[in-house]
Amino acid sequence: MPTLKMILNGQEVFVDVEAGDLLADVLRDKLGLIGTKISCGEGECGACAVLVDGRAVDSCLYPALKAQGREVTTIEGLGQDNRLDPIQQAFIDKTAPQCGYCIPGMVISAKALLDENPHPTRQEIEEGISGNLCRCTGYYQIIEAIELAAERLAEKGGPK
Amino acid sequence: MSNRVVGQSVPKIDAATKVRGQRKFPQDFNMKGQLYAKVVWSEYPHARVLKIDVSPAEALPGVVAILTSKDVPVNEYGINIVDQPVLVGEGEKVRWLGDRIAIVIGESEKIAQEARQLVRVEYEPLPVVSDPREAMKPGAPLIHEERGDSNILKHVKIRKGDIEKGFAEADVVIEKYYLTPHVEHAYMQPEAGVGYIDEKGRVTVIAAAQWSHDDLHQISHMLDLPLDQVREIVPAIGGAFGGREDMYIQHLLALCAYCVRRPVKMVFDREESIRNTGKRHPYYMKYRTGATRDGKLTAVEIELISDAGGYASTSIPVLNNAASFAAGPYVVPHAKVDAYTVYTNNAVTMAMRGFGSTQPAFAYEMQMNKLAEALGVDPVELRMKNLLEDGSIALTGNPMPKGVGIKETLRQAALGAGWREEGDQWIKPDLGTPSAPYRRRGIGVACGYKNVGYSFGFDDKSKVIVELALDESGEVARALVKLGASDQGMGAHTALAQIAAEALGIDYEKVRVALVDTSVVPNGGSCSASRHVYMSGNAIIRACQEAVRKRQEALRTGERRVSVEYEYHGRSVRPTTPYDDENGMCDPHISYGYTSQIALVEVDVETGQTEVLKFLAAQDVGKAINPEMVKGQAGGGVHMGLGYALTEEFIQKEGLVKTRRFSEYHIPTVADMPREFIPFIVEVPDPTGPFGAKGVGEMTTLPTAPAIISAIHDAVGVWIDNLPATAEKVWWKMREKAGMA
Repeated sequence: MPTLKMILNGQEVFVDVEAGDLLADVLRDKLGLIGTKISCGEGECGACAVLVDGRAVDSCLYPALKAQGREVTTIEGLGQDNRLDPIQQAFIDKTAPQCGYCIPGMVISAKALLDENPHPTRQEIEEGISGNLCRCTGYYQIIEAIELAAERLAEKGGPK
Repeated sequence: MSNRVVGQSVPKIDAATKVRGQRKFPQDFNMKGQLYAKVVWSEYPHARVLKIDVSPAEALPGVVAILTSKDVPVNEYGINIVDQPVLVGEGEKVRWLGDRIAIVIGESEKIAQEARQLVRVEYEPLPVVSDPREAMKPGAPLIHEERGDSNILKHVKIRKGDIEKGFAEADVVIEKYYLTPHVEHAYMQPEAGVGYIDEKGRVTVIAAAQWSHDDLHQISHMLDLPLDQVREIVPAIGGAFGGREDMYIQHLLALCAYCVRRPVKMVFDREESIRNTGKRHPYYMKYRTGATRDGKLTAVEIELISDAGGYASTSIPVLNNAASFAAGPYVVPHAKVDAYTVYTNNAVTMAMRGFGSTQPAFAYEMQMNKLAEALGVDPVELRMKNLLEDGSIALTGNPMPKGVGIKETLRQAALGAGWREEGDQWIKPDLGTPSAPYRRRGIGVACGYKNVGYSFGFDDKSKVIVELALDESGEVARALVKLGASDQGMGAHTALAQIAAEALGIDYEKVRVALVDTSVVPNGGSCSASRHVYMSGNAIIRACQEAVRKRQEALRTGERRVSVEYEYHGRSVRPTTPYDDENGMCDPHISYGYTSQIALVEVDVETGQTEVLKFLAAQDVGKAINPEMVKGQAGGGVHMGLGYALTEEFIQKEGLVKTRRFSEYHIPTVADMPREFIPFIVEVPDPTGPFGAKGVGEMTTLPTAPAIISAIHDAVGVWIDNLPATAEKVWWKMREKAGMA
């Protein structure tokens, strides 16, 4: 069985995987990181989004071995020292989560967006989460949360 | 009482764990030594099962058990009528694709998956009945021979006033036929869970459920076990919208655990979740509406036919609801309603946001907008002349209870959209210039109303336990609210914690709401009918008032704990009654919520594509316990209504499913949503509600589709009477109108 080595949420990890294993399953079933959600299982909804080298990918389609040697960030890797990432805090403050099943993926997509584009327009925010489906909210409070996070990050001098 | 907590947008009680990804949903539970199960689904919508051969599957290493009908102690269930087999055995019939032949249990998910492909089933196909209008005809193939000689499950009749006289008084009559499709709930969290035997030997299920205590009754019947030998735990639920009111996985997990006595995990994939679980009922609706020249409604004649699918589920209560709201939130002196729900071999249909009030809302609001056009009256003005007020006589002959806020919702939405009110007249705003020469603008208005709580004489109730822990000085250090109220995401636990904090006069942060575990919490009733704020809120207020009194005693005795149990009955404030068999007159509902919405759209005349530019949504919630959560319900309701209007259709051909994934069944993405969304919170109190509150969850979906479809008509002059208004459909209608088709 091949060994996958990756930097997961800032820590080097080694995990034995089979050639066909998908990153989402490895994260959830082998590493116990249940924050990455599986909803459609075929790359159509974004619930399983994680960052690979800073870019959001659908981990339910992403071969685990493709993450070899890369930096992988899941929802559990956001924030520091038990403090929430500003995006997570903004999601709370704007009452963005309803059922919350899409929320880790939304937060990851927002993180990828704001890291690359700290001052997105509303249109750019919509594009940034256009691959993430939500059935509860109508997306409005999620958009507002990302706007608020961008504002707060700008005050602090940018993301990261 | 002060309003320190109620009315504040406090953070949701579960938000922090949800944004961290720590909140556990059913698929996030794993137990030591667990097995994995997969269902062998029916391959036919209507067939007799001749032979089930499990031997090739059994031979696969790692297969632990294959359950068939013989393994089910009492092989029947059903939330309203017990007409569903848990597993279909040899010689028995499958009636839709969601019927199950077997459950394969293996040491790994892969093994279970592989083994279920090896189960060989022989069928004798039977004639498929896929249109309820055909199914209700005498001589149609019967879906349930054991239930009599007709596929009609129920016929509701309403006869109010004198229908002939009503139409004789009318100057204008509009007669149209409407069709709404099957709709998939499409909650983001597919069915999943774990079944196991707990430390007390109870068959236990961890799964998402809207009414765990009702599931328990059904599971105990299926396993022929006493109620105290079964248990259900409901962790975080990834959305429900009515779709988890029936059991789709709970009983299967219980059966697995019961049979193999080991923990068993089962997770549906998205295709199973779409293909093999219940849907919103399609309704076929014939409407004839009459009004006088000056815009007073005189009569309405309605036929509703709903497609129940292979099993009854809640089709009858949904039909009862649909019929009672069929005339809309208007005073109509003369009415005749005939409503039917009919078995077919299509997908089972069940509760979904609105519970039968959503489908007729499309029809009655389209009728109002067509009437407005025929009369040359503004659509807001026409509604204002006919909308219900306190004491108005509704369709079923009952006076409307105090707190009818429908006019206020329409007033706020219309003024917000730029309407001008001049005396009794309402004047439509100028819509501005379209964004491109090939686009046309239009605006549409619609209203809706729906019940809060269970209706028609049902003893709707909620039981709650409130426990206080007092500190050294006798102050309340913590309060724990225990009740079986699922929070499927809308924030029921947050709102109920706010109500408890308010009633106890303590900080919101000191209140906890217990995990729904039927071995710990009492029966709070279903998490449906927009009822928990009203029903459980009323129970909590009364329990807290008693707890405050008991605390005074505790202060004298030095006791540090206070516990109060209270059961609130809806009939204590407003008894409801069932339909009269002959004329349908009754007092159907406990409480109501009201809503009005306005859509501004642009339609591309070259493609038929509709874009919703601006959307105004006004909901009368009586009292917003948490205003941001109310806005969230409005956003989500409009999302679902917009999908209903423009993109969503669960398509079956002769009972077979054509839309099995999100790329085939289109729920709106962020790009499909209205560019600008303006929610209005209207607070016309219901004096019987907690702090005046009503319900909100379902109402926000009702007027969305008719508002958007009427806006399309305003833009390009075509009426789309069968949902959804896809670009193709609008384009063809425009060609037809231009005489080119």
